[in-house]
Amino acid sequence: MIELNNFTFQYREGVSPVVSDISLTIPDGVFVGITGAAGSGKSTLTYALNGIVPHCYPGDFYGSVVVEGLDTCEVVLTDLSRLVGSVCQDVDSQFVCELVEDEVLYGLENFGVPRDQMERRVAQALADMGITELRDRVISSLSGGQKQKVAIASILAMQPRVLVLDEPTAELDPASSTNVFELLAAYAREHGTTVVVVEQKIALLSQFADLLVIMDEGRIRFADAPAVVLEHADELKRIGVNCPRSTTLMNRLRAAGAYSGPAVRNVQEACEVLKEVIA
Amino acid sequence: MSAFLEYVPGASPLHRMNPVAKLGAAALFAIACFCSSNLVFLAVLLVAAFTLAASCGMVRQTLGLAKAVFAFSLILALVQVLTTPSGAVLVVLPWGYIGTGGLLAALTTVVRLVAAAIPLFLVFYVTKMNDITNAVVKVLHVPYKYAFTFTSTIHFIPVFMNDMAGIMEAQTARGVEFDAGGIVKKVRLMVPLCVPLLVSSVRKTNSAAIAAEVRGFNLRTPTSGYKEYPFTPLDIIALLGTALLVALAITLSMVL
Amino acid sequence: MIQFKDVHASYDEALPILKGVSFTVERGEFVAFVGTNGAGKSTTMRLVNGLLKPDAGEVLIDGMSTTELKTSQLARTVGFLFQNPDRQICCNTVREELLFGFKALGLAGPEADARVDALISEFGFDPDEDPFLMNRGARQLLALASIVVLAPPVVVLDEPTTGLDYRECVKVMDIVRQLHEGGTTVIMVCHDMEVVADYASRCIVMSDGQVVDDGPTFEVLRNSDTLERASLVPPQIVAVSMELACAVPRLASRPVGCANTVEEMAAAIVDERSAQ
Repeated sequence: MIELNNFTFQYREGVSPVVSDISLTIPDGVFVGITGAAGSGKSTLTYALNGIVPHCYPGDFYGSVVVEGLDTCEVVLTDLSRLVGSVCQDVDSQFVCELVEDEVLYGLENFGVPRDQMERRVAQALADMGITELRDRVISSLSGGQKQKVAIASILAMQPRVLVLDEPTAELDPASSTNVFELLAAYAREHGTTVVVVEQKIALLSQFADLLVIMDEGRIRFADAPAVVLEHADELKRIGVNCPRSTTLMNRLRAAGAYSGPAVRNVQEACEVLKEVIA
Repeated sequence: MSAFLEYVPGASPLHRMNPVAKLGAAALFAIACFCSSNLVFLAVLLVAAFTLAASCGMVRQTLGLAKAVFAFSLILALVQVLTTPSGAVLVVLPWGYIGTGGLLAALTTVVRLVAAAIPLFLVFYVTKMNDITNAVVKVLHVPYKYAFTFTSTIHFIPVFMNDMAGIMEAQTARGVEFDAGGIVKKVRLMVPLCVPLLVSSVRKTNSAAIAAEVRGFNLRTPTSGYKEYPFTPLDIIALLGTALLVALAITLSMVL
Repeated sequence: MIQFKDVHASYDEALPILKGVSFTVERGEFVAFVGTNGAGKSTTMRLVNGLLKPDAGEVLIDGMSTTELKTSQLARTVGFLFQNPDRQICCNTVREELLFGFKALGLAGPEADARVDALISEFGFDPDEDPFLMNRGARQLLALASIVVLAPPVVVLDEPTTGLDYRECVKVMDIVRQLHEGGTTVIMVCHDMEVVADYASRCIVMSDGQVVDDGPTFEVLRNSDTLERASLVPPQIVAVSMELACAVPRLASRPVGCANTVEEMAAAIVDERSAQ
């Protein structure tokens, strides 16, 4: 479980807090999507979970962030890193090795995973991301989508309880973006891992997340199931978050008195509902 | 296509050698080049260096590299030709003369530099950077922090070169004439671009440092590495062979 | 204006990227190139401004082959917005950055100053701000402005909305739309199908180095063969319309079966209900 209590943070060189008064409880095994306009504090929120704040970026830290019973301020970063795996926004600078296999081994070696488990863990992590056949490839020769999967596999191999990803699909095309989310969701379901993803593509979050968190000017504006959050389309738009078009369509129909059900999250749901509306 | 100093996978004997042995042998080879002024001996070493490159399929990369080293050594050679008046007089200069001795010395410099450089650079093409790091940590007990700093610097060279190429491309598209004029003009145009390059490098190295830290960088010890780097007979032969070259080079220079 | 004649291109001869691409873009068109990563879209863009020259075939800009022109010469005709604005921005202040293009093209002077000043107030920039301290969206906007200010007849955009939030995306794209309305030819690569649907009038679909479809945006995005061949996901409303038409065949010939926007679809559904 992750608990943030009145968490406020201001970077040392900043003039005002980047996130303010955040209180949020994330139960185990939940898939959390975080979105919001640029500068709304999304990334800083993930830094709080993996300990990069305050361990790597110093500043004023108020309130508390507790991950699986560990207060992130009181433990050393490395102890936290055993629990929380992080995939950076810029995967190219995350890589320390030339070969895919070595990259996945790196974290295992550092955290002292017993040698007889390493082989199985590497194979499993690659299989979980569907990239077993890339094992002996040179990373720089891979496509963007493949690199992203390698970066995720190299973190999954460490079997973290919580997985934090910062815009994992920013550079990917729609097909690979969906694929990465499908793999992440399947992995999380199977292993009961908590996944926290920051993402601009709200259509993807609406589809895959259990809990959708909307940030605005450093505060949490909404934190609920996607269908509930998407009810507030107008307000979302005002704070710079655009709903999926299928949601907007159904909200429009509701306003016109043609529909009275809950907000829809994607094309499939919209079609199911519309078939009944028209029939 | 592989970038400058970027690992090219393969299974040649050179690929499979112990990374420490490779580094050691390449260093000894370079020392042998610098211990001798015998042109014939150096020419033999140069041929040997190219044979090594051919043995692991790196001829194309090596030729590119040899060209760069050649251009650099030409500058040194030119200085040498103009400032070392010896041998038969060929051209009289206001401060001395260009002689056959100077020309010979210049040629020696060129051959020596190219021959010495090839195996050193070859090491990076046939060895994974993290094998070098892990091997020097395991075998030579170099602290991991230093080994990692060194290898990630090299690791970032292709990344930065790629960035620089991207920046130059973007500027050309704005009308900066990178695609016209000579090298001097290009360098002059490049200076203002150091700012964007620097900004992106600082960002990249910073996020790389954080990424390594959250993956347990601090916990790594000489025993952490999964792979072992035992010395094989081939490694011993390579080290002994190159040591012999050094001895030969010294003997030659004393005898002749 | 822009003509590709059976163009083959590669960065490494062993790995062909474009395998015979032909199309013509007329003056004043707004064309989106779509397809998966690696389909050859960005390569096509680089051929347009001569950063890459064709191995075979011909790329003509205003009737001139790019093989005979330098990119720095083409820069007067073709403005290019790169995916990463950090590669483009290189000056210490917003004002210098906007003047930079004029200097590079040898056009600096009072007229350039006036254009820059006009644009600064139009975009609402602070002329003395340091571009490297601006956020990602603002830098993208500045990179776009530094092209807009030169008023090139053709603008090429390589994924102009990547990494931007919704508001920034709308801001950037609305400026592009204004440019287009002012007569500029716009060519863009874009993964966001909603942006493609909202702004581009013509769509060229690429897959594996070839053009697999080319036509009015919605005609192309409603072609299920094209979508499948290029692994494309259509914009959401188009997807809803196609699925409904498929599930309820009588809708195919009704407005629901051809509605492309939220407005059209909402009106069509309301109609459909009242018709019953």
